[in-house]
Amino acid sequence: MSNGIPLAEALARYRADTDLAPPPALTDIDALLHAYHPDHLRDSVTKLAVGANAGDNCQRELAELLQAEAFIDEADLAGAPVTDIDVLVIGGGGAGCAAALAAAENGARVLLATKLRLGDSNTVMAEGGIQAAIEPDDSIQRHIQDTLRGGHHLGDPALVAALAGDGPEVLHWLINQGMQLDQTPSGDLHTRRAGGMSTPRLVHCRDYTGLEMMRVLREAVIQHRSIEVWEQSPAVELLSNEVGQKCVGAVLTSLLDGQLRIVRTRSVILATGGLGRLHLNGFPTSNHLGATGDGLVLAYRIGARLCELDSFQYHPTGLLHPSHLAGKLVTEGVRAAGALLVNGLGQRFIDELQPRDVVCAAILRECSEGRGVRVDDQHSGVWLDTPRLERTQPGILEQQFTSLMTRTHVAGIDPRREPLLVHPTLHYQNGGAVIGVNGATTVPGLYAVGEVAGGIHGRNRLMGNALLEIISFGRRAGVAATVDRDRGPKKVTLEHVNHMRRAMTLAGLPMTQRAPQVLPAYAAGGIWNR
Amino acid sequence: MEPLSMETPRVGASQVLLHPDRRVGADMARWRSSGGGVALARATQNPAAVLAEVKQADLRGLGGSGFPAWRKWEFVAAEAPKPDKYLIVNGNEDEPGTFKDRVLLEETPHQVIEGAVVTALAIGVNRVVFYTNPDLTRSLAAMKAAIEQWQASGLLEQASTALGRPMELQLLPGSGHYIGGEETASMEWVEGRFPFPRGKPPYPAQAGVHGCPTLINNVETIANVPHIVAQGAAWFRALGIGVGTGTKLYSLSGDVLHPGVYELPMGTPLRELIYTHGGGLLSGKPLKAVFTGGPSCALLTPVDLDVAMDFDSLRARGANLGTGAMIVISEGTGIVKRVAEYERFFAHSSCGQCNSCKIGTANMSRLLDRIDTGCGTTADLTTLKNLCTMLPGTGRCHLINGAVQLLDSAFHHFPDEFKQALR
Repeated sequence: MSNGIPLAEALARYRADTDLAPPPALTDIDALLHAYHPDHLRDSVTKLAVGANAGDNCQRELAELLQAEAFIDEADLAGAPVTDIDVLVIGGGGAGCAAALAAAENGARVLLATKLRLGDSNTVMAEGGIQAAIEPDDSIQRHIQDTLRGGHHLGDPALVAALAGDGPEVLHWLINQGMQLDQTPSGDLHTRRAGGMSTPRLVHCRDYTGLEMMRVLREAVIQHRSIEVWEQSPAVELLSNEVGQKCVGAVLTSLLDGQLRIVRTRSVILATGGLGRLHLNGFPTSNHLGATGDGLVLAYRIGARLCELDSFQYHPTGLLHPSHLAGKLVTEGVRAAGALLVNGLGQRFIDELQPRDVVCAAILRECSEGRGVRVDDQHSGVWLDTPRLERTQPGILEQQFTSLMTRTHVAGIDPRREPLLVHPTLHYQNGGAVIGVNGATTVPGLYAVGEVAGGIHGRNRLMGNALLEIISFGRRAGVAATVDRDRGPKKVTLEHVNHMRRAMTLAGLPMTQRAPQVLPAYAAGGIWNR
Repeated sequence: MEPLSMETPRVGASQVLLHPDRRVGADMARWRSSGGGVALARATQNPAAVLAEVKQADLRGLGGSGFPAWRKWEFVAAEAPKPDKYLIVNGNEDEPGTFKDRVLLEETPHQVIEGAVVTALAIGVNRVVFYTNPDLTRSLAAMKAAIEQWQASGLLEQASTALGRPMELQLLPGSGHYIGGEETASMEWVEGRFPFPRGKPPYPAQAGVHGCPTLINNVETIANVPHIVAQGAAWFRALGIGVGTGTKLYSLSGDVLHPGVYELPMGTPLRELIYTHGGGLLSGKPLKAVFTGGPSCALLTPVDLDVAMDFDSLRARGANLGTGAMIVISEGTGIVKRVAEYERFFAHSSCGQCNSCKIGTANMSRLLDRIDTGCGTTADLTTLKNLCTMLPGTGRCHLINGAVQLLDSAFHHFPDEFKQALR
């Protein structure tokens, strides 16, 4: 049951032209997070019993998948065709494309396998922009500090330093690939300041930065002669050497004919993205259909250490109304541009430029304490005050937030006149596979880049660092995967699966659930019914 | 599949050779306090009695042949030194799924050395070579330390006095080749050449290393000798079940919950090894097959679960105990892939001096790989079956026979799996 102020009543009470009092001072951030952030919900976290992270906290729904029976058995591989390649990249989003390009530029033959189509990813949904310390009064050091502070000082400083240090070079590379970015009238790159940043650092292309980035990456990948792309080919298992301790390939299936294919490689780069479609804690998600956490499952089963498995980012401003758009993102850029958050009583309740987890917890607090705007029995949210933004900066929505305007127009809403009703949405997996500065996981031959990797963002990611991460670490892993070449696999086995089965049997865990999930159960009946 | 890692395997139930009291490493004082040296003392007093006792005990060659050890001993004992006699303690152990000798060498080096010295006294050998897999660095280190203690402590001198001439102990790391474990190949390596197996005859007992009479026994065989001498043949025979005598080190691996080395009475049923000691199969799946004695033997299937695992009972069923390796395969594990992997191992391991083996194993491996990767045709399967009838017995050593036996057995038990994998 949701209490709160009914939608009609709240809308009637709403005024865009009154002066709003500043929000109450935020005294105890930790107490707010503990009381309202979904990571701290009771029953949300369990301890892992087996694997490299045995004993660590893990989100409950994710733990069930990490400790699950494999999708395939060895007998299923009899007669499976074998492809030999230098580098296998699993995932066709920004990180996968960047890694594939870097590996191919270094002379490797690359196979890029993607679950859906090339570019079906969360990269295309990144609206806000990409962080890079390029302004005269900015510095790499400030970028590092902001990122670490935003992640509650739990990020790995070496990874953060690598990330921030790569920023300007990454922009240079992207521009050379043909990416369009917004410019100031004088021709400099236009930057914005967003949550958690001490200075403007967000470079962007309107409010579809990720889409524009994916456009150029996709074109580059398709055109590259050394990169082969397999679409609709999800990975269902990794392959290990005879002792199950090195990754030497992967088993792919096809969504079209269900046939298994073995790929033998020197190195595998996981770029499988996040897990929003697991709908942790029942939250809606901003993620695309394929974001089911497969990479974490595969990496964990082969023995890779993961981190921060109980920490997820819920984006503060997912649309709540109309319901068919539930979970869709309203970019943080809107708040960066000056839009305020207002509760059902017409009051500000939080500094809108606080890091995402804080804003998210504050919105959930308003909703649970009855100051939210109630849509129905289950759902309530708060206003994102776009009319006020339009009033103070006329035309800004049209010019800078094209994609938002298009989407709301289709839904019959005009954000220039009525505020948007928003609620936190499951957005990003803060943790992931533990990596080094070259994206190498703790398992030889296995790299992880992008959202599936962890350690950079601590327990909270700043806006614009994800797009930077996928290119920065994608390229680093692509290069490292080609440099690090041994003679190739002698034997490819599923020995690591047996290791996991043995550990699970010893721990008394059930073997009923299978993973990876590949597609959400509600998508065409799930992969299992094919 | 098989624990190729250099980690020490887990040791399960153990009675004699791997009894916790005996696993003291290269610690001579602890070895002596656990009964070490008793057999040596007896043998120095009455060397002739040793052979009779071992014959009475029916000690078998535990490296895979199951050939009565005492028969080989008798042959060598009957030969005159020319001018030396050799004993090669074979610890080359390189077969997939076999990992027992390394435990004996690493954890009970004194037991192995005592066995070798007692054997040498019994049949008049003056040169003892411990021939060891070069990759097993911990076993090598333990043996090196133990041999130095024997040389320093006077035990070796005691044995030399009893023998009437100096006895020499040599630790010789092998070549790292699987084929180097074949007995005639080991002699080539001891002589300083590449380990090509020799043709027989002459048998090693007549003309072995440098033409001298040579006895070659597996580490496990030799390790049993002190206990037979110290506790008597009757005690040893009573350890076994049914026709089996003594104990056997079973290397259990594959899809079982607790892989490891288990020392059980010779003749223990497969069911007891897998389910009582091994904890059953992973995920509770049904048993599909067992590769016994490493891959160079036929497969066992669930109908064989209650067969006594000794040399004679298994041979009666057309299988072979071999080294005591039991690679357990559960439902869900593919036979084609496993067999293809093993044939690749054989093709890789063939020394290449016999054409039939060199080309035959390579061809079998190639055809199986084709089938396993979905490129195989009915013609490939027919070719493989033809090779199985053509190849056995065409090589100097048994490698080609083992390669064929494995494939033949897989065809016999799982014909459908091969057919399903065809294009």
